Amino acid sequence: MSLEAPLTAPVFATLLSLSQGEKHGYAIMKDARQPEGGGIAMGPGTLYGTLNRLMEQGLVVETGLSDDQRRRYYQLTESGHAALTLELDRLRAVVRANAHLGLATQGGPA
Amino acid sequence: MSIALRIVLPLYRAAAWLYPPRFRRRYAGQIQLALRDAMADQSLPPASLASTLLKDLAQSLWKENLDMLKETASRPLLLFNALMLAALATVLALAFYAIPQQVLRQGANDPQLELAGNAALRLQAGAPAAQVIATNPADRVNMAESLSPFLIAFDEQGHVTASAAQLNGATPAPPPGVFDYARTHSEERLTWQPQPGVRLATVIRHLPSGGFVLSARNMREIEAREAQMGQMARFLWLAMLAIVALGTFLFGWLRPSPARVHA
Repeated sequence: MSLEAPLTAPVFATLLSLSQGEKHGYAIMKDARQPEGGGIAMGPGTLYGTLNRLMEQGLVVETGLSDDQRRRYYQLTESGHAALTLELDRLRAVVRANAHLGLATQGGPA
Repeated sequence: MSIALRIVLPLYRAAAWLYPPRFRRRYAGQIQLALRDAMADQSLPPASLASTLLKDLAQSLWKENLDMLKETASRPLLLFNALMLAALATVLALAFYAIPQQVLRQGANDPQLELAGNAALRLQAGAPAAQVIATNPADRVNMAESLSPFLIAFDEQGHVTASAAQLNGATPAPPPGVFDYARTHSEERLTWQPQPGVRLATVIRHLPSGGFVLSARNMREIEAREAQMGQMARFLWLAMLAIVALGTFLFGWLRPSPARVHA
């Protein structure tokens, strides 16, 4: 694993989406658009470039083909889970460390 | 389909060819499939999809090609070849400048060699310096302005005895070292700068009977040609480096590292 914190938005959204189970490309793009998935509009070129790099780093693997010969599914490896956990921990720590600023979030108190 | 998508989709499909071939081979089908899914998704406004695709194209094309370029630059053999070609291009560009520059500079002495040679023969035969060299003040060549070659005669101590040229109303003399060299070697060819901005292609001959004859001419035109050659050599050098860089990039684009092909 050789990801540097903070993760880029497409990497974070991709790892987050795949943490829920194996998915194909468009499902990842759709998850990424949701606020809880990162809230980013990611196009196919960016998505597959990100997946390619994550696979080279051993954080994601292809699981095989589906009904459509071209559609491939991807899932996180243990390293991928670890990278995502580290990033979430880092974000939590940032939020905790800045709680005294009293900046209210839309989702409730920090 | 919205107008924006009608414009963006063909562009997006055509631009897929600009991805590095390895990436294209591996993901083109999946990208098209994701695109089809996105267009069928009713929850995604067409204008938003068009904007996402445009941004995606700009970002991912740049990123994937840069990634490929980094990988190309990290291949030792390819990098070595590129550096060797760049070195060769540098040597060629230098030669393209230096050889004609030398030919131009040496050629700039030709009229002076002839003039100084003829004058030396006449002076040696006993003709008075004032007769060999036109000394009429009105006819004197202005060293700073004129491109005409001119003659100056000096005695053995380096004092002017006759002059067909002037600079600011007087006739300057070269440094004593020039006379010393000409005395021991019978002739000296040099670039003489009697004042900043005035450079003269100069030939000075020592006469066996004593004294010197100097012939020179302003190098302004020659130097302008040399500057032109320098500019052309720089352009040639940059063009050759650009070709080497482009060739290396294309090679990396078309022939990815075997280690990553099977990754």
